[in-house]
Amino acid sequence: MSLAQRLPFQTGDTPARRIEDASDDEEEALVNNYKEQVRFDDELSDAELPMPVGQAQLGEDIQSRIAAAATPLEYQATLETRFASYDNYCSLFHFILNSDGPVDLDVPSYYWAWDVIDEFIYQFNSFCSHRNRVARKGDNAEEIQILRDNPNTWGCYSVLNVLYSLIQRSQMNEQLAAIKRGEDPATVAGDYGSRPLYRMLGYFSIIGLLRVHCLLGDFSLALKTLDDIELNKKAMFARVMAAHFTTYYYVGFSYMMMRRYADAIRMFSHILIYVSRTKNFQKNAQYDSITKKNDQMYALIAICVALCPTRLDDTIHAALREKHGDQFARMQRGGPDSLPIFEDLFRNSCPKFISPTPPDFDNPEINVDPIEHHLSIFMEDVKNNVWSSTLKSYLKLYTTMDLRKLAGFLEAEPEKLRTWLLVNKQRSRQVRWSENGLLDGDIVSTSDLDFALQRVSRTQTF
Amino acid sequence: MGIPFDYAPDRPEYIENILSGLDRYNPETTTVFQDYVNQQCEDRTYDCYANLALLKLYQFNPHLTRDETITNILVKALTVFPAPDFSLCLHLLPPHILTPFSGSTSNPAAGDAPLSEAVQKLNVLSNHLAAAQYSAFWQTLDSDDLYADLVADVSGFEELMRVRIAVTVSQAVREVERGVLEGWLSLHGAEFDRFVREVCGWEVGVDEEGVGVVRVPLNKENEAKGTVVRENVKFDRETLSTFFTSPYARVLERCRWTG
Repeated sequence: MSLAQRLPFQTGDTPARRIEDASDDEEEALVNNYKEQVRFDDELSDAELPMPVGQAQLGEDIQSRIAAAATPLEYQATLETRFASYDNYCSLFHFILNSDGPVDLDVPSYYWAWDVIDEFIYQFNSFCSHRNRVARKGDNAEEIQILRDNPNTWGCYSVLNVLYSLIQRSQMNEQLAAIKRGEDPATVAGDYGSRPLYRMLGYFSIIGLLRVHCLLGDFSLALKTLDDIELNKKAMFARVMAAHFTTYYYVGFSYMMMRRYADAIRMFSHILIYVSRTKNFQKNAQYDSITKKNDQMYALIAICVALCPTRLDDTIHAALREKHGDQFARMQRGGPDSLPIFEDLFRNSCPKFISPTPPDFDNPEINVDPIEHHLSIFMEDVKNNVWSSTLKSYLKLYTTMDLRKLAGFLEAEPEKLRTWLLVNKQRSRQVRWSENGLLDGDIVSTSDLDFALQRVSRTQTF
Repeated sequence: MGIPFDYAPDRPEYIENILSGLDRYNPETTTVFQDYVNQQCEDRTYDCYANLALLKLYQFNPHLTRDETITNILVKALTVFPAPDFSLCLHLLPPHILTPFSGSTSNPAAGDAPLSEAVQKLNVLSNHLAAAQYSAFWQTLDSDDLYADLVADVSGFEELMRVRIAVTVSQAVREVERGVLEGWLSLHGAEFDRFVREVCGWEVGVDEEGVGVVRVPLNKENEAKGTVVRENVKFDRETLSTFFTSPYARVLERCRWTG
């Protein structure tokens, strides 16, 4: 079975491109890793066999809960369905976490653990967005009443509680720290953490936390959450395509919101290159689910490159021009006309931000969509950048230049120009990651253009 | 050699313990964090990562919110511009906080209108700083008594701001007219001389036309050095061997002989 799947890899276009890209060794490792993953996918089809006999004693009930927990919520689910689903998660996690010792569950697939955490957070996200929307519109009295009566359903404390408990039960942070030190994680895994079910749930809960913190606008804590996970192809998340993809999306996005554009670009490029090189042999459902996120990441990388000019990998650059060519060019050109483009792309590609607490149903007008809140903060930084490309295009032509002359070219007051120059200098200095945790980094200059302000030489006495 | 965002040199151990454990979500730690914010205001230390943890507690437990602590955190964040701290704090505040309010006629039920107003006022300051409009920053700060109230708790606010402004100026400037810098620092006369000479270590002088000039000594940032763009091209053995059997190989050999 795996032979047929390996063939396209060997005849694929990856080796032919070898010379162009310095990071090809890494990419090859990625592709090899992907092969491993394909085998896991195959295991899935094998695993769709009837469940083993010993399973029966756990009861029909738990099996249906297991299946339901990983099943995507239907589009436009009613509040009743959302509440029932919440209850289902609560009892399932309660069973997993609070039974007398670790439980034996036969889960349907290798990536069931990912699907469960993914779906759990998706439903939390979609419930909060829905609740906010109902409060903003204020026209559905029946739903408003139900939501008022149940302020704790899908509460942020219960969601975080589940994720942290799964991490703690499995000793996941301790295990990852041991792996980092080159030790055997089994020595710290304990009763729970040595079992694949708990290990996977614990691990993916860390990725889940990254996502929840990001959805709540806590970008530094989101990055801090991954302290024990090393972002490389050997990481466990890389085995499940959707997990791999999600991790890079949220890490890249958090970097972008911390104004570490160089790091954001590095994250987005990494995963987009990976997808573009493996897409030829990803014809499964997992791939379909990431197509939308893939396009969103192209939009985000376009925003980042417009704010922090960077040479992109040729593959990415070509795809970017194909998908967002016109918008990309206009953002790069800058000026006030570019601002609505930044807004559009941001709205369409940001996570669906949420407010953790129930909205104020009595005052619909103060329930602002969290997306607009985060967008307006982000746009302050974009507005500051609006003249930088025009400025740079002139600066590149000269080695020294009179401020007034340049101001004349730009049709701006010399005073105004002086502040633009200071802003430009400030913005070219960015924190960029080099080693250790994701929040670590050195201040570097990300611009290929440097300058200083000096008075025109005249005799001066000091 | 970089400093991680979550590191603060003066962070006490008990704060570190709360931050690294689940107590960071415990509403009971709110008062501990609030006291810590007060301490930062008094002794001129700063711990953004801990302050964000407090804002998150407020985000989860709105009834615990203390307006004064929020504005103090924001004012402290201003003192480290152009770092993104101020906006990272804004992201954790309620989504309606930046929505323009319609003055006193606004709906009284929106209970935190005073907080919104204060946050938006501070946001104006933050935008001036990010846009390097330092004179406008000082003018705005002086324009309204509310600003004086907002920064009152933060000890040495004006001096901290002057030092930050001086740092960003030193990164871009070698020489600047005294008048311009006076506006940027909101200092004049002897006070200006003292600050620029003693705190910054810059030279103050006049040119032949009697115009005051300040010279910033060369540093790593204002020397305006050209950058060399380097690309690493990796060759594997296969490519190299085709290269050596190509006509270029002879050229290469010749180089070796002559060079």
